[in-house]
Amino acid sequence: MPTLTIDGHTCTVDIGGTILDAARAVGIDVPTLCWYPSLTSVGNCRICLVSVEGTDKLLPACATAAEDGMRVTSESHAAVRSRQGVLGLLLERYPVEDIPAAEARNEFEALVRRYDVPTTHRAGLPPRDGDARDGDPAIRHDMSTCILCTRCVRACEEIQVVGVLDVAHRSDRAQIIVGADGNPEHAGCTWCGECVRVCPTGAIHDIIPMAVRAGDGTMLERPRSNAMPPIDRTVRSVCPYCAVGCQLDLEVRDDTVVHVRSPWIEEATPNRGSTCVKGRFGLDFVQHRDRLETPLIRRGWVKRDGRWIFDATHDTASMWPRRGGPWELIEEEGQTRKRGPRSNPLQRSTSGIGPLGDPRDRVATPLAWYAPFREATWDEALELSAQELTRLRDTSGPSSLAVLQSAKCSNEENYLLQRMFRGGLGTNNVDHCTRLCHSSSVSAMQQAMNTSAASGAMREVEDVADVIFLLGANTTESHPVFGAAIKRAVKRGATLIVCDPRRIELASRAHIHLRAMPGTDVAVMNGMLHHILALGLEDRDFIARRTHQFDRVRAAVQPYTPERASQISGVPAALIREAAERYARGPRSSTLWAMGLTQHATGTDIVTSLLNLILATGMIGRPGAAMLPIRGQNNVQGASDVGAIPMVYTDYQPVTNPDIRHRFAQEWGVPDDRIPLKAGLKVTQMVMDDSPVRGMYIMGENPILSDPQVAHAEHWFRELEFLAVQDIFLTETARYADVVLPGSSFAEKDGTFVNTERRIQLSRAAVPPPGDARRDLDILIELSNRIGLPSPYRDAAEVMDEIARVTPSWRGVSHARLESHAGLQYPVHDAEHGGTPFLFADAFPTTDGKATFFPVEYLPPAELPDDAYPFLLNTGRQMYHWHTGTMTRRSFALDARESTPIVELNPADAAAMGVGDGEEVVVASRRAEIRIAVRLSDRVSPGQVFIPMHYREAAVNLLTNPALDPVAHIPEFKVCAVSVHPANRGQSVHSATTPLQATSWTSASPAE
Amino acid sequence: MGYPHQPHPRESLVLSKHFGTPEARTLDGWKKRGGYQALEMALGMDPVAIQNVVKESGLRGRGGAGFPTGLKWSFMKIGDGKPHYLCCNADESEPGTFKDREIMRWTPHALIEGVAIGAYAIGAETAYIYIRGEFTEPIERMEAALVEARAAGIIGPNAMGTGKTVNVWVHKGAGAYICGEETALMNSIEGKRGNPRIKPPFPAVAGLFGMPTTINNVETLAAVPHILVNGAEWYKKLGRPDNPKSTGTKLWSVCGNIVRPGNYEVEMGFPFGEFLHEVCGGALPGRTLKAIIPGGSSVPIITLEEAERGLMDYEGMVAVGTMLGSAGCIVIDSAQSMPKQIARLARFYAHESCAQCTQCREGTAWTTKILERMVAGDGTAEDFDTLLEIAENMTGKTICVLSDSCATPVISGIQKFRHEFEALITRTTVHAVPVVVA
Ligand SMILES: Cc1cc2nc3c(=O)[nH]c(=O)nc-3n(C[C@H](O)[C@H](O)[C@H](O)COP(=O)(O)O)c2cc1C
Repeated sequence: MPTLTIDGHTCTVDIGGTILDAARAVGIDVPTLCWYPSLTSVGNCRICLVSVEGTDKLLPACATAAEDGMRVTSESHAAVRSRQGVLGLLLERYPVEDIPAAEARNEFEALVRRYDVPTTHRAGLPPRDGDARDGDPAIRHDMSTCILCTRCVRACEEIQVVGVLDVAHRSDRAQIIVGADGNPEHAGCTWCGECVRVCPTGAIHDIIPMAVRAGDGTMLERPRSNAMPPIDRTVRSVCPYCAVGCQLDLEVRDDTVVHVRSPWIEEATPNRGSTCVKGRFGLDFVQHRDRLETPLIRRGWVKRDGRWIFDATHDTASMWPRRGGPWELIEEEGQTRKRGPRSNPLQRSTSGIGPLGDPRDRVATPLAWYAPFREATWDEALELSAQELTRLRDTSGPSSLAVLQSAKCSNEENYLLQRMFRGGLGTNNVDHCTRLCHSSSVSAMQQAMNTSAASGAMREVEDVADVIFLLGANTTESHPVFGAAIKRAVKRGATLIVCDPRRIELASRAHIHLRAMPGTDVAVMNGMLHHILALGLEDRDFIARRTHQFDRVRAAVQPYTPERASQISGVPAALIREAAERYARGPRSSTLWAMGLTQHATGTDIVTSLLNLILATGMIGRPGAAMLPIRGQNNVQGASDVGAIPMVYTDYQPVTNPDIRHRFAQEWGVPDDRIPLKAGLKVTQMVMDDSPVRGMYIMGENPILSDPQVAHAEHWFRELEFLAVQDIFLTETARYADVVLPGSSFAEKDGTFVNTERRIQLSRAAVPPPGDARRDLDILIELSNRIGLPSPYRDAAEVMDEIARVTPSWRGVSHARLESHAGLQYPVHDAEHGGTPFLFADAFPTTDGKATFFPVEYLPPAELPDDAYPFLLNTGRQMYHWHTGTMTRRSFALDARESTPIVELNPADAAAMGVGDGEEVVVASRRAEIRIAVRLSDRVSPGQVFIPMHYREAAVNLLTNPALDPVAHIPEFKVCAVSVHPANRGQSVHSATTPLQATSWTSASPAE
Repeated sequence: MGYPHQPHPRESLVLSKHFGTPEARTLDGWKKRGGYQALEMALGMDPVAIQNVVKESGLRGRGGAGFPTGLKWSFMKIGDGKPHYLCCNADESEPGTFKDREIMRWTPHALIEGVAIGAYAIGAETAYIYIRGEFTEPIERMEAALVEARAAGIIGPNAMGTGKTVNVWVHKGAGAYICGEETALMNSIEGKRGNPRIKPPFPAVAGLFGMPTTINNVETLAAVPHILVNGAEWYKKLGRPDNPKSTGTKLWSVCGNIVRPGNYEVEMGFPFGEFLHEVCGGALPGRTLKAIIPGGSSVPIITLEEAERGLMDYEGMVAVGTMLGSAGCIVIDSAQSMPKQIARLARFYAHESCAQCTQCREGTAWTTKILERMVAGDGTAEDFDTLLEIAENMTGKTICVLSDSCATPVISGIQKFRHEFEALITRTTVHAVPVVVA
């Protein structure tokens, strides 16, 4: 390793390290502009030239390898003169008149100050040209400040692996261009904002998405980040969207989140400072005018003689049925006419925007929805909730109560809520949306190796894995920051095998795409294993030392020749063979999967067959051989970890074990027998017709839209005796509530979240909740107290201390330790333990440390296309939206990007049917039908259609099949049979247009 | 030879012997003139032995830098298991330089032979000839000759029946001077934007497609067959006896205000005065020569007096304050305005800057702007300082030397013809005779 001296400091760098690396290591600040950590050094700005003894030329510190014995002077006279020259040349075309006298606005101006360069123009050269597109709701270019460092070009190409930007022309006409035709969309841009983050001058900047609305409701011009008034503070937060768990810095002014900035790239955050479009531009929902600011109580509830009763004749309650309101059922709304998606939202100018031109108006909670409610005090709302929950417990028994917890809420909140229902109300009817995403993974992993989380880390996949096997996961859209990491891994040379019915972006970058028919994965896995065994590529040593009962699986996969697997799945046998060989040969193969595998009536079987493949090839327990179920929500892992599921307490400790129950009862100060020893009901069981549940508490979930049978759910929830909803918006579910408790968004509270790789991270409150809304933790503490479960916690840190006490694998976790931004990957055995990036190096957490094989047979999906319903419907997510859209459809930039529901239809099918892009079709299943606009796309195979889950007005879960996995009770969201017909264009299926519709988004036409 | 003129008796015709003879373009015609004997010989030799012959001959790069060719070849580690590449630099875009063009137009097989030998000598099975896109006729000639050579089995997977592979391909440029810079050339062949790369790594370590690569000029490679056939000793004897560092013959492209512009081939060390006045016919009637840019536009401008003292080899040119460069000799007479000439050169460099390095992108544009303003009569006395300040920023600080090349004529021009600039500022008449700088 070379040792050199810089300005008299001796330092040693790794072989291949540069002078700049050495300088940074000893804290010498050599100025840089084009250099950026992790990007290729191009050495084009020439600002980092330094003097090296024995060389008459100045050398670029960023691109000169450090050599033994080098003597470097970083601020020699010649170097300083050269830097002044560079800065002076750049200033000649920089708008110097805009440079504030008081302070530097950006990296470049800071250097101008540091080297004391006069900010005057001498050359009279024209300002630099470049992209001057107007109307982009997120990113603006002001190329007059561009210094052509090309960081944006490299960041787009090397970090995001997209390549939207490039340098065009040469000489002084050189400029950064956006796509070949100036349209970022055509170049694959996803508005991740990587270019914004790396730009050293603000030439590429974001518009503050957090526009504020003036008192009269008009939109104020969204300020530009490079002209932003100073902020009051920056607060480290964790992104509320997916489970990658990106850390974000929220910039706050006047108690308003005005801007999102990425953490520095070299910080040990899971995202290395990257974001996706949702994380950077999709957080303005926090300030949306629909935020609930006061508790609401349904009209008709009155307090008489000290007790709350529902009097249907009171107030205006008689205007609607018991839980009704002035809205259409989702089922009805599904049949309203749909406009095609707007052609190109980017071509619209946002400058002269009127209230209707603001896409947020179109998804805003219709004012009419508030009509059945009256504003209430917190005392009223909490009293009524406590009264009804305890009344139902005492009259109908604890099992008549159930709670839906939230994968969007923190560990502390989820822990307190399940504590309230278990310890306070005596029921294990505790669940959350994990049921609908990875419950089948959890049951399969529990069964095979007694674990419920990923074995490895995302970083291993990016940096180490030789083969990446990705199944049923559209990572670049659903987990974009991780998707980019996978693309970087492929660039580095890793082999990518994708198993997915759709030709998703990663499939087009994959070495092998197994385009299996939905739900046929067991056949593919068994076929691969068959071939691996036939070639003897299995890891015999691993099987012998670390597993049980392999022979059962060996026998079970025997009939699954690649040819047979091919017949079932439609994947050519040769591809199955090739995938099997590449995967088994590794040497380090990582396995990643998501909802495409799990949301099936055979979800547990499918994941089990995949685990068999992992175990048979020993692709687990080594760095780079990660088993990584990619979780969905930002805290779905954490909510499960802290016991928000019906059969376990924290750390998956079974509720059926009296000793464990004793420990929790003691901690909570309640008698053991208050808590049943029987597992509670799962989400999908709670809402069954024969369910005993009469009263429900829902925190931060919108089950009416996310339930597999929306129509059924909507009716079911209306039959409840009592429903309390704690949320930040009046959601489709909340509109049926008796009490609505306005909670806090992620930006308004302290709390921890667990990402998909078991990393516990601390998110800090940046702003206070709006109006009278309260922090969720405070609501839960207060309600627990009123229910009779003393909850003396002062803050989230104290709740975490309790969680650590009762959760063996979190024993060493505390808020104080999480202050360091890297977070902790559990297990964290004690206060000194640094966490566990990968698991199962030596043993599985089973009694004898071994994993067990379970043979599985292929079973077809519960409902397959037939003559009446000839298409196969697949559902999932889009890049710009999130789940039921409560947040993203209230985000200006996101909703502008993707504002209408669409069905992806193969052009061949569309042609046969005679429908074109943007035209309306009726998609019908045995259960319901919806009208929806067509998007032609060859991502779907002929005979298959795809509908995203985000849109109330075309709720796809009206159509899906409620068939459940027998073990995990996860619904079959991914496969059902539908028919598709062109909608009768002349007349609307739903002809009567109620006045209400004029305010709901489907009929309001934006100012185009 | 001074094609399109008759050869001058003082020329030494080696490379240009067959210029003007259409028959030499064909394979048969070329073979009749002794073609491909050298290649046959080379394929029977050890590559390192060829490197040694070339080293011994003293051949130096004719592309501008004058780097010893044999030494460059010896950086390629034969048998390192990696694919090697040879790139023949036929991008010839340096103002005033048009010698490679004539080699390709008249003797395409000579180049193919040189390329094939060079490729074999550095362990490369693939060679690219990167030809300037505007060279439509040379491209046609080269491609036609390659078709012939391939069909005859001279090059290809079994070159001349020896079982050795030498593939040669033409790659057309798309109109960028910078692609003549060797690393930009490699980027261009790879399909990337033609930006020069940072060195190190040098091409012999990581060049085309990241593999060991040698880049040689057309004239350099065309000389190799002669060296192999006639021997290193023969080549070494061409040149002045007192300077063994410059050997062989050199093609000079002569243009500008001179009676017989064209290409001339003379031995290294030929007296420059005699060359200008005798071989090329001297100044046009009634005019006197004023300034010479001897090595293509990138080298310092010298006065006629300096030129007359010069000897036409690498060292001889350095001795009079300039460089041999690409031997594109631009002759300027007293009827010309130096500021105007220099402004034109600066505009060329500004236009051709790849725009990577700050100093080059901004400096060439600003320099041009000032010079053009001065030429228009709007200059000021401060402009000298500004020009020299920018030129200082542009010298020795960038990834490649395009920026330096722009600064060079500006610095030398102001130094030697300052009075002409001053005259523009003060609007006095221009002196007919330049000031001699000692
Ligand atoms: C801006 C620039 C342009 C160049 N253009 C050419 C060219 O057109 N032809 C050429 O042979 N060399 C050109 N060179 C020199 C090449 O970089 C390289 O030195 C040469 O091709 C090496 O070949 P040689 O060793 O045979 O001379 C250029 C260099 C620079 C910096």
